[in-house]
Amino acid sequence: MAFNVTRRKFLQTASLAAVALPLSEVIASESGITRSPLEPPGSLTDETVSGGICEMCFWRCQLVGKKRGDRLVKLEGNPKSIDNGTAICARGNAGIQFLYDPDRLKFPLKNVGERGKPVWKKIGWTEALDECGKRLAEIEKKYGPQGIAVFPHGSTAKYPMHFFERTVGTHNVSEASFFQCRGIRDTAYMATIGRAPGEFVDMPNAKVIFLLGSHIGENIHVSHVKQFIQGLQNGAKLVVVDPRYSASAAKSDIWVKIKPGTDTAFLLAIMNYLVTTKKYNAEFIEEYAEGFDKFKEGIKEWSLEKAAKECDIPAAQIKEVAELLAANAPNVSVHPGRHVSWYGNDFQRQRSLACLTALLGAFYVKGGWVPGKNPKIGKTSWVKKEHEGGHNLNENEDGDLKHPFTPPGTPTELIRDAALTGKPYPIKGCVIWGQNPIQTIPDQDKMKKVLQQMDFVLCVDVMPTDATMWADILLPEVSYLERYDLVKAGTQWDFAQKHQQYIAARMPLVAPMFERKDQVFITNEIAKRMGYDKDIPVKTIEELVDKDLEVAGLSLDKLKKEDGIHLMDGKDPYTMPEDFEIILYNEELEDAGFPGVPTYIPVEQPPAGYARLLYGRVPVHTFNRTQNNIWLKNAMPDNPIWLNDELAAKMGLKDGDMVGLVNQVGFKSRTTTTVKTTPGIRKDAIFMAHGYGTANPLMTVAVNAGIDDTSLMTKATVDPETGAHGMRNTFVKFVKDGKVIDIPAAV
Amino acid sequence: MPNFSTADPIAAIYRFCAQSMHYPEAAWFTDDYLKKLDGLLDALGGEEERAALPGACPGGRDWLEDLQVEYTRLFINGIPHTAAPPYGSVYLDKTLRGRYSDEILAFYRSLGYSFHKDGDLPDHIVYQLEFLSFLAEDGNRTGEEEFLRRYFLPWFGMFADRVKGQAHHPFYRIIVTIIDFFTKEEEEHGVQRNEA
Repeated sequence: MAFNVTRRKFLQTASLAAVALPLSEVIASESGITRSPLEPPGSLTDETVSGGICEMCFWRCQLVGKKRGDRLVKLEGNPKSIDNGTAICARGNAGIQFLYDPDRLKFPLKNVGERGKPVWKKIGWTEALDECGKRLAEIEKKYGPQGIAVFPHGSTAKYPMHFFERTVGTHNVSEASFFQCRGIRDTAYMATIGRAPGEFVDMPNAKVIFLLGSHIGENIHVSHVKQFIQGLQNGAKLVVVDPRYSASAAKSDIWVKIKPGTDTAFLLAIMNYLVTTKKYNAEFIEEYAEGFDKFKEGIKEWSLEKAAKECDIPAAQIKEVAELLAANAPNVSVHPGRHVSWYGNDFQRQRSLACLTALLGAFYVKGGWVPGKNPKIGKTSWVKKEHEGGHNLNENEDGDLKHPFTPPGTPTELIRDAALTGKPYPIKGCVIWGQNPIQTIPDQDKMKKVLQQMDFVLCVDVMPTDATMWADILLPEVSYLERYDLVKAGTQWDFAQKHQQYIAARMPLVAPMFERKDQVFITNEIAKRMGYDKDIPVKTIEELVDKDLEVAGLSLDKLKKEDGIHLMDGKDPYTMPEDFEIILYNEELEDAGFPGVPTYIPVEQPPAGYARLLYGRVPVHTFNRTQNNIWLKNAMPDNPIWLNDELAAKMGLKDGDMVGLVNQVGFKSRTTTTVKTTPGIRKDAIFMAHGYGTANPLMTVAVNAGIDDTSLMTKATVDPETGAHGMRNTFVKFVKDGKVIDIPAAV
Repeated sequence: MPNFSTADPIAAIYRFCAQSMHYPEAAWFTDDYLKKLDGLLDALGGEEERAALPGACPGGRDWLEDLQVEYTRLFINGIPHTAAPPYGSVYLDKTLRGRYSDEILAFYRSLGYSFHKDGDLPDHIVYQLEFLSFLAEDGNRTGEEEFLRRYFLPWFGMFADRVKGQAHHPFYRIIVTIIDFFTKEEEEHGVQRNEA
């Protein structure tokens, strides 16, 4: 395209005014630029703003922001913090890039194309909210509240989740943090010690740190890593049980190279050894535990030799670990883990970890399992209304729970099955808030079919994800650096130091850009349009935070004056609560048809030519959420597949080769990634980092980088006690240049 | 819609360009607007562009939505990617709200103008063109030339190439061609007036 006149000639024509001035008639008078008094150059001020709380992962380190004018230029740990202190991790630093990522969602979008193949159009908030309110109200009217399913994640999703769960009345809420992550751990410990364990191990003061699958250092949660490193610096011995030589294993005194899926057998053998050799803490068990005799009887078959065979490790090593634990009891940190949705036999393993901690007497003692004593804060949200019963998908015809030890909400698989069959009732509305159910839940095709059959899908997020491609309306949420939000309370990270408590609230470090809104605004506006105006608990997010702080005698104003963190004297964390008891044999479990004593349930092993696909974290990413961050992408651009070096030689593969994967039912990965050969992994397993290989082209940095491990999980395994998923039962072969390569270890 | 008013033809052209880079809404994207655009193209001898316009914006209900979809894809969140973010900082700093956006803000202020659009960023092409319009209207030719040379032209070419290369719809190709015409020619920066 070019014009038949030069600019100079055009501008010199006598008719310029006659052509140009009428243009004014179609130009709006409003402008973003106005005349104002002269300001000298260099008048931008530098300032440090406190009150930030990180959300590049869920650990929530306290931050300060360095600003130039209204632009955030650097993030640092809040010097007042007794949690992360001045330290933040690579992801925390890269929050700047996340804030200013050109791919961030900016305005409400309407899909005028197909679900899954969206054609986006920017619309105004009123139109977007009207559409959401109308469509969700129609679904509620036609199918009942249970016709709406909610997939929430993160601190902003609590408020909308409670609206749909407590006020509207749907039971069909599935949080990935429970059903695809830590729910099993929490309910297994609830069934053993009556409380969820968190990651509350007093590692700085431990004599032995025992990690089963946890790879601290690859997952970086700043104060947790500090605890781990402090423990090692103080001389703690480290036992790491992992099929792979992880970053933790690299620091270990004993690396137990266990066969995947057999961890419970290993734990039972240790416990049986401690019991039969009387090296357990009998006094502690006598005082706090119930069901010891049945427990002892139930695990007696697990000799060192039997476990050694099952776990494919030397019996002497199991004994060595047991002796080490016994010799240093009770000052042993038996880490409860976090992401524990592995094989579908996970509830029993988590129960075993709690029982092992009990045999060592390692609760509420130096170096043991010790939850800090946190200050009380409010939990303002929607009030739970009375709703008609009978819609809990987890209940069978007799009113019994199918998965009696389920975490809160409804097991994901039950929601998906109901949605696809319409039985016992249809599920036609879907609210996805901060979660990416395509890349967090096994069997992606099933999830897509679930979303496809909905009458309406709403997604609320800060970034495009594979799930947002399935939205009808996509709403942009303010990021953690642009909003008020949760209140975090805790203690100093090392209990050997002066006991202190802290309360911090998330405060914005910069004003929201574009038309992003917070969760209270969005939820309230939808609630109004669904006829729930009278139930709205708070008008603004600031009011919500203030109410939560009020419980502790604080306010946002007060916290601002205290640089974002309120400090107070703490309490001795080692005092055992009066009601503390340990249930070694759980009758309720047995009544519900499950083993009352921790029991090893073998899982399927890879068929000939295949290896088990294991996945995990890398320190520079929090799964898919950080993949589009160019700073972090450059630090680790894809997710190399760890392959045993001897196998690699036999297979003709070398470091850096580009390969794909194909699973046991022939599903091929959409993308490829590199090979990393190493002696540090067993021959029956391969490993890769989770969260790569996004399919959403709106994530311009991340799209198709590496392989999406979840895409290969076409078979969903379910942990029977909890209904949560097992996600490490996928078996794969390699594909190189279109040719499938068997993995010879299992041939 | 209250109308912009100016006695300066150059200011009117810059503001017309700025208006054209706003999200297309029925409130301003009218038949009258298209008529004015056609008139401008006629005066510029842009026969090819004039010919493309009626087909691209034929009137009726759906064509405005087509243009909104195109704007969203090119400038907000697009597939296979946001084709041409309309922010200088994305091209010069590889991020939104980079150092460039601070510098441009400081430049607005140093010449006696301020930016006040809550939520949007100062280096958006719309505000840069509005700023040029103010400078033209206030007779600050030195400022206009300096702004074009130091701030506008270093990124606009990259932006315009992306729009021209990736637009599915002729409208934005036409608009960036007009902007290009009025901001860059003959190795001289700024709109050269008829001094006669």
